[in-house]
Amino acid sequence: MVNKDSHPSDEELLLAADAELPARSAIQVRAHLAGCWDCRARMAEIEGTIVAFSRVHRQSLDPQLPSIDGPRAKLRAQLGELESKCEGGSMWQRFQFAPGLRTAALLCAAVFFCVLGGTLLLQYSTIRGANSTAVIFEAGAEPDHSLTPGATRRVTISDVCSMTHEEVVAEVPTSLRQKVFQEYGIVNANAGDYEIDYLIAPGLGGVEAISNLWPEPYTSRTWNAHVKDALEERLHEMVCAGQLDLSTAQRDIAADWIAAYKKYFRTDRPQPSLVSQHFKTEMRWHSYVKGIGERS
Amino acid sequence: MATMDSVNRLPFATAAANTALSSEPSDIEREVIEFFDQFRNPLLRYALSFGVPVHDAEEVTQEVFLSLFRHLQLSRSRKNLRAWIFRVAHNLALKQLYANQRSTAKQASDWTLAEERFDPSPNPEEQLSSAQRQRRLLSALCALPQVDQSCLRLRAEGLRYREIAEVLGISLGAVSISLTRSLARLTRADQR
Repeated sequence: MVNKDSHPSDEELLLAADAELPARSAIQVRAHLAGCWDCRARMAEIEGTIVAFSRVHRQSLDPQLPSIDGPRAKLRAQLGELESKCEGGSMWQRFQFAPGLRTAALLCAAVFFCVLGGTLLLQYSTIRGANSTAVIFEAGAEPDHSLTPGATRRVTISDVCSMTHEEVVAEVPTSLRQKVFQEYGIVNANAGDYEIDYLIAPGLGGVEAISNLWPEPYTSRTWNAHVKDALEERLHEMVCAGQLDLSTAQRDIAADWIAAYKKYFRTDRPQPSLVSQHFKTEMRWHSYVKGIGERS
Repeated sequence: MATMDSVNRLPFATAAANTALSSEPSDIEREVIEFFDQFRNPLLRYALSFGVPVHDAEEVTQEVFLSLFRHLQLSRSRKNLRAWIFRVAHNLALKQLYANQRSTAKQASDWTLAEERFDPSPNPEEQLSSAQRQRRLLSALCALPQVDQSCLRLRAEGLRYREIAEVLGISLGAVSISLTRSLARLTRADQR
């Protein structure tokens, strides 16, 4: 990294000061500094700025910090409440030590959920149209905002409105997809079940960062990835037509994209064509289940 | 650690709190409180640096430790919990910032802070010079992109480059470049 005879760059000096250089490069930088007053002066300048910044950082914020005692007591109280609510969790831990009981209970649970799932599907077939779907549970339709608050880069209207289609629908790299699944605790994810989606779309200035990505299930019946795609297109069109401020579009989609859809499409339910792709899959399965029921 | 007496005198030491305190805390609860004692102030400073008001920043910090409790209860990864809690704080503070729509007030609040700070230097001339220097640095700091500001703040809180990269979702090289560039700008501002 560092040539013995050449001067280290500012970045290398900073890395050396922060003990972030590989051992060999660190030795080379130290040896160079011992013989070069110019670089020592640059190093001292960097150190001086660090000291000044640290002081400003502390002095501008520390006087605002309230005493820790009150917040600590509040946290303890909240943890106590959480602990008491989670007693079921400790039962589960005890339960894990009884393998026979666990197997039996898991079998019962599997049968129960199969029956429940079948019943729901049969009811589903008798109620046609998007209205019925609104009552179905929509797990994962909104991201966990503590993990995915949304992130943007500095863009102008002309930047977002001159983006190519490839830039707007940029593919998320596999390594980042895996990180998103990991962050959401999803193991053995079936790629077809989720779209790793941008909360704030690139077409609205959103960036490819983990704080702007979440696994959006295609399996959500009403508020699914296709519906969100339609919202992104609508907001992009409105921004480029000068009908909507870019920052408002970013804020609305990041805060609650379903509410944003309702607001900008002036409807409480997504267009039926957008949920139809999911319907087709569901109905095929339902027909199969129903066929089994009629034969037996 | 706060004593029972000091806790009971607090206004929000409710019946629920007393019930919770009267029972023996679990290992996870104790661990979370230890983390709280160690990281509450750094996290609160970090949340405040986004320009959110103190009570919101305090809420963000509380939520971080409640998330940590749930994280540990679900036996999720314990690898580098310091980076994990800063990442959650970063995300929650950003969310709070969006919700408050107070991003434009940030600079004003920082300026106010710069005006109000006092340096315990012995004479008024040094005091004035120190205040001017702080103002210059704060002004240069506020002009930096948010990611660069976050890199500096996180480093000032003692995070290593790898941890900063994890918190901000950027590469190790990007952290190093950001810090070098920001320090160069602050140095130039300081020398003006």
